[in-house]
Amino acid sequence: MKNSKTKAKYQTFIGLEVHIHLITESKVFCGCRNVFGSEPNTNVCPVCMGYPGVLPSLNEEAVKKAYQVAMALNCHLNEKAVFERKNYFYPDMPKNYQISQFEFPFGVDGYFDLELADGSTRKIRIHDVHLEEDAGKMIHEGSQSKLDYNRAGTPLLEIVTEPDLVTGEEAEAFVQQFRQMVRYLGVTDGNMEEGSLRCDANVSINEFGKGLGTKTECKNLNSSRFIKKALEYEIKRHTKVINSGDTIIQETRLWDESSSKTSSMRTKESSNDYRYFPEPDLPPYWPETKFLADIKESLVELPGIRKNRFIDEYGINQQQALFLTSEKSMADFFETVVEGDIEDKSLPGTVASWLSGNVQKILNNSGQGIEESSLSPRRLLSILNMIKKDKISTGIGKKVLGLVFEADKDPEDIVKNMGLDEGPDESEIFRIVSDIVDANPKVAEAIRDGADKQIGFFMGQVMKATSGKANPGKIQKLLREKILTGPEKN
Amino acid sequence: MKIKENLDSYLKYVSNWEEKIGSFLEFDISRTKGMSTVEGQLAGIPFGVKDNFAVEGFNITCGSKILEGVSAPYTATSVAKLQAAGAVVVGKTNLDAFGMGSSTDNSAFKITNNPWDTNRVAGGSSGGSAAAVAAGIVPFALGSDTGGSVRQPASFCGVYGLKPTYGVVSRYGLTAYASSLDVVGVVARTVEMTKTVFDTMKGQDIKDNTSVSHPGSRNNGDVKKIAVLKIEDGSLSDDVAKSYLESRKLLEKLGYDIVEIELPSLEYVVPVYYTIATAEASANLARYNGLRYGYRSKNGNDPGEIMQTSRDEGFGDEVKLRILLGTYVLRSGFQDQFYHKAQKIRTAIRNEFDKIFELADLIMMPVFPTAAFKHGSTDLDPFQQKVADRYTCAANLTGLPALAIPSSIENGLPVGVQFTAPAFEEDRLFNIAKVLEKDFPSPLAPGTKNWSII
Ligand SMILES: [Zn+2]
Repeated sequence: MKNSKTKAKYQTFIGLEVHIHLITESKVFCGCRNVFGSEPNTNVCPVCMGYPGVLPSLNEEAVKKAYQVAMALNCHLNEKAVFERKNYFYPDMPKNYQISQFEFPFGVDGYFDLELADGSTRKIRIHDVHLEEDAGKMIHEGSQSKLDYNRAGTPLLEIVTEPDLVTGEEAEAFVQQFRQMVRYLGVTDGNMEEGSLRCDANVSINEFGKGLGTKTECKNLNSSRFIKKALEYEIKRHTKVINSGDTIIQETRLWDESSSKTSSMRTKESSNDYRYFPEPDLPPYWPETKFLADIKESLVELPGIRKNRFIDEYGINQQQALFLTSEKSMADFFETVVEGDIEDKSLPGTVASWLSGNVQKILNNSGQGIEESSLSPRRLLSILNMIKKDKISTGIGKKVLGLVFEADKDPEDIVKNMGLDEGPDESEIFRIVSDIVDANPKVAEAIRDGADKQIGFFMGQVMKATSGKANPGKIQKLLREKILTGPEKN
Repeated sequence: MKIKENLDSYLKYVSNWEEKIGSFLEFDISRTKGMSTVEGQLAGIPFGVKDNFAVEGFNITCGSKILEGVSAPYTATSVAKLQAAGAVVVGKTNLDAFGMGSSTDNSAFKITNNPWDTNRVAGGSSGGSAAAVAAGIVPFALGSDTGGSVRQPASFCGVYGLKPTYGVVSRYGLTAYASSLDVVGVVARTVEMTKTVFDTMKGQDIKDNTSVSHPGSRNNGDVKKIAVLKIEDGSLSDDVAKSYLESRKLLEKLGYDIVEIELPSLEYVVPVYYTIATAEASANLARYNGLRYGYRSKNGNDPGEIMQTSRDEGFGDEVKLRILLGTYVLRSGFQDQFYHKAQKIRTAIRNEFDKIFELADLIMMPVFPTAAFKHGSTDLDPFQQKVADRYTCAANLTGLPALAIPSSIENGLPVGVQFTAPAFEEDRLFNIAKVLEKDFPSPLAPGTKNWSII
């Protein structure tokens, strides 16, 4: 908070509940497809519709992904994980209870290294990581209520932090960095608009040293920016209420983006008693040591660690490393190109600047991710190799890059088909250079006498004569040789 | 008599008896024709299925108005296995709504009468299945047993009633009443049929994560030593007490080693059962809200209200009572006092049974304190009916297999006796039952006959 007076007086406590949709073939307790955007009520079966007699059958793929996240968050993994029924009535929840975890979730007592604006990191404690099923959706259209159960029973992983965050900005940073991490793990696409990543935030303030205050919970935070704005609004509101001698009511509040305000949704007094009890249809889950070891083994390098390694190993700067590791696909792409020629010590720097510059510019325009574009690591390396070997100029290289994206063809073929590489070879350039210099002895003389700028005249002439295909460096080198040796005497 | 060769007389027999006993909610012999060609151990054998199992092509009402007219979109694993072995579903049998009751009087659709005396109940909650078998309409029927719902009606009707080890038969497709207690059970005319049906259904099912594969008996099902529960004076009706004593004498005569035992924890069985069963039921029955299928109330302006009114109008009193009780024992702050405490006692009961099995192969005890009682509350009011579940609930709380066996006819009504075995020792139950069957086979009710293969 910018208000330094407030900062001195009150301490802020922010905790987050982040829900992520896991990417799995099928739903968490039945065989229905787990996809977004299908026709309403097409991905449903008796199990996820809660017909009489059906039973949940646990999806091992969802379990693996839950453990991946719990491990990445440095959680203690419970020896025995237990599913429980969370009982409450809601029209979009087919069984009117949600299968979730409560007393023995997959992971507890973890932490997340949050990178702060000043470059330092702080450990944000993770209370627990638990797996549950999502509900369907209810849409109100005029006087009608429509129910779509496609989402019912899709796997949802909930991550609950301790109230260790202090500002709206930190909460925003947490969500961004957390999102990056889970996308790295490949467990979710983290799409906030489609609801693949949802976040509720609770906040309280209190005088320093007095512990947690009365908290309010904010919902409807559909982007990380809303999280920041809603929390900043709430912190101000709490401060005002407390300063005026009133007390904060524990309640759930909805963020309204259009008015930039939160408003009361329901008070905790009227909220449900969820009557949790162990799910009798699913035996306790005892993960085997080997099973967990295999998951640990398969865990990918997380973005923060990878960024630091890139700086150390490839000698690229902080900014570039940050860019390259922001998405796993980009970091993987970078490393694949670099591994293509490990002898070339300048390659990492070149690749980094091409990716963050020319390549990213094209990706930004097309809105594509690098993994779905037609540029492959091999193709980029081949462009860079042709430049390195003077087969093409850097300028042509950029042009070829653009064509690779457009035409989805190999750079070699593009260069060949368009005659981009048919520049004159060295002896041919030398012949042209000789002719031009011999035809202009006075200019050559002037250059030899120190009028170095006039070399530009020859450059222009030679470029013209070679239709711009000859390498400028090479022309200049040959020009200087020719001019220094003086006119040819036959 | 073969049904196939005497179809008309069979149908006449069925409709005659159905008029008297009302065991089926749905009966359709027509669909048996196309299926009777399936080869297998049960080829062409007709059977009834309690109407809380899903069988494609039939309704699944669970005996409740809230599911009236709902047709099953899939078939229960247990039923599918029997169909694969050639058996043919001829109809869905009556029950106390959602399996909650001991009389089948709690069905929303009709009452079922006992073929031995139509003024009396067939027992419950699988009363329809037991009555249908006892009347000779089908040689076997499926029931579900959560607290004695197969064994008690089998005993009331003079047929065999098996409650297998928990998890050995897949529950997929059996409408849950109390998930940790529910098992798929068999009502049958003979021990052989009971065993064949059980053997056909058993086995692990990926659709039921609580199911297990059956490891087989550890001692070939041998029975030498039998623990006989000592009965306090006055706990049983005179008829049942007499029959129980005769069963004990018969075992002694047959050369079994008899040891009299006490099970002090039986005192807690009923309260523990009703705590756990209703807690689970309160969640299991939450899904019936009229929005996706079943009874939908016309009173209500939005989905939330419709859920409430549909449940209010769709559930019967006994079901509401148990949902309320279950909701009560699960309230936060009260779980230690009720639900958690019940789970601890449940473990203690199991331990007590395990101790007995260190010194005996089987335990013998009564099924129910009385023979079939009269409709209404004249003999036993609903509370007394619950208290009387003490001998049957123990097997559900412990997960152990138990079999109700016809033991005698007293004053024109069948009486049964119950044997409980260690987990997975169903074979011991079948062995003792076969021995006793020679002495006293399942009695035919007056006017009934056995129909068999289609
Ligand atoms: Zn499904």
